[in-house]
Amino acid sequence: MASPAVRTRNVVIAVAALILLLWTVFPFIWILLTSLKQPNDIISVPPKFVFTPTFDNYAALVMGEQRGQYASTRPDFPLFFLNSMIISVGAVALSLLAAIPAAYALARFDFPLKNELAFIFMSFRFVPFIAFVIPLYLLYQKFGLYNTHLGLILAYQLITLPFTIWMLRSFFMEVPLEIQEAATIDGCSWLGVLMRVILPLSMPGIAVTVILGFMFCWNAFNYPLMLAGRQTFPVTVGAIQFISYEQVLWGQMAAATIVAALPQLVLSLMVQKYIVRGLTMGAVR
Amino acid sequence: MTMSRRRRRVLLPYALMAPALVLLVGMIYPFGLGVYYSLTNYWLQYPKRFRFIWFDNYINLVGEPLFLRALEFTIGFTVVAVAVQVGLGLAVALFLHARIPGRAVLRALMLMPLMIPPVITALMWKIMMASTNAGILNYMLSFLGIDPINWFGSTQGAVVSVLIIDTWGNLPFVSLILLGALQALPTEPYEAAVVDGAGPAAMLRYITLPLLAPFIVLAVTFRTMDSLRIFDVIYATTQGGPNDATTNLQIMAYQFSFQWYQMGKGMAQVIVLLLLVVLVSYLLLRLWNRAAERTVY
Repeated sequence: MASPAVRTRNVVIAVAALILLLWTVFPFIWILLTSLKQPNDIISVPPKFVFTPTFDNYAALVMGEQRGQYASTRPDFPLFFLNSMIISVGAVALSLLAAIPAAYALARFDFPLKNELAFIFMSFRFVPFIAFVIPLYLLYQKFGLYNTHLGLILAYQLITLPFTIWMLRSFFMEVPLEIQEAATIDGCSWLGVLMRVILPLSMPGIAVTVILGFMFCWNAFNYPLMLAGRQTFPVTVGAIQFISYEQVLWGQMAAATIVAALPQLVLSLMVQKYIVRGLTMGAVR
Repeated sequence: MTMSRRRRRVLLPYALMAPALVLLVGMIYPFGLGVYYSLTNYWLQYPKRFRFIWFDNYINLVGEPLFLRALEFTIGFTVVAVAVQVGLGLAVALFLHARIPGRAVLRALMLMPLMIPPVITALMWKIMMASTNAGILNYMLSFLGIDPINWFGSTQGAVVSVLIIDTWGNLPFVSLILLGALQALPTEPYEAAVVDGAGPAAMLRYITLPLLAPFIVLAVTFRTMDSLRIFDVIYATTQGGPNDATTNLQIMAYQFSFQWYQMGKGMAQVIVLLLLVVLVSYLLLRLWNRAAERTVY
């Protein structure tokens, strides 16, 4: 038999754990329920926990069909999803191509201005996005990059490039110097060291960096809000299109948020050990 | 013509950096252009009036009532949000650090709010915060005897809504940093404290918190930088309203430049915000250095 004090303590812990669980999970559950409701179930008072589920909202997302008379402004969600994929993959790939050699130089070579350059890349983390978006918007209008995938991939370098360089640098620095020296004695050039030692040994780190970089691109909202148009909107900007002056399509918006969040939920489980490191650009292991 | 081996060796790191440096120039150039615009009266609809006006945009901000309110909201929101998030985050981290059943599951679930797009977080809460009793949040509060809250329609409600939404998304960040730090703490000080007969409260106060200090400062630094610039959540919920109650500097700069196309003024506002972010980050990072030096173990 547990003493009353221990029992009280256990109850307090259980209640606290329950509150934490509800706070974290309930919004997801509620949005999932909302996404399965008919419009009149969504606005019912009191809110319904039990109702006849419908996949109409998801079907509307996929077909691009929208209830109501505002068909001309209907969001094309499959296109937004595809745009998110194209832009995120493109941005991460471009960053990776530029960051691998740069991170290698920053991790393994000594040269004048090295630390200054590393710092300049990190300093982008401090700048409010509007400071980039205003001039980019004007430049993009002038040079035809506005509302293009390429323009967005280039703008997203502000998100992915500093991050990728700093993460890869920290992973490359973890490769033991002794292995590199042994490879050099065996006649490996700088390229051989990179291709045969650094890259293979940092593969897990590179994978984590790629996944996190992809997730940050997927989450991006403010750059595409100003630099994309209806043909290039990603899911984040696409999801707010369900709010218009005439009406808010709650059901479809709920379905859209679920679809937009889904890749993140799957990917975050894959890289859960590294998320804090990624969010602090390597400052916290 | 062949380069000497030595010369090649010196140039190699720069050659490796070259692709990244090209992209870097592509990032710095628009920023420099923006700083230049902040010294002009650039108004997209009136390109012929374009004139270099030195610091007029900055000087005029002082007499702009909206700017002062936006500055006040930016700082006030940041102070409250960081205090709430770091305070609760520390509590959650300490809670999860204790041997709680299902800790691993809770820890994994906490990643979900952290990693979904902030604008999606905002839309989820927008659905839950409907102002009538059809909104699930008001419905749940009705059991506590609380009348329906006009979440986004009233000035106070809007501020609180943004705070709740931002906290839901970012509390896990603080918790995970501090939980990771807690799990890496050395055990010796605790063993010694047990020998000395210290209770749990004393251990928390005299061992855990001092050892955690650098990580707390780091969490404060990251959260402060992001809270000063919060945009997505506000844009998707209140758009800065009602009555500009949730207009921070970033939202204000957005309105000036993309609703009224006064690019010069918008740039000046955002440069002020940048200076604020840099100043605060500098002070916090110095504090972090001091805290880290004190806790070498």
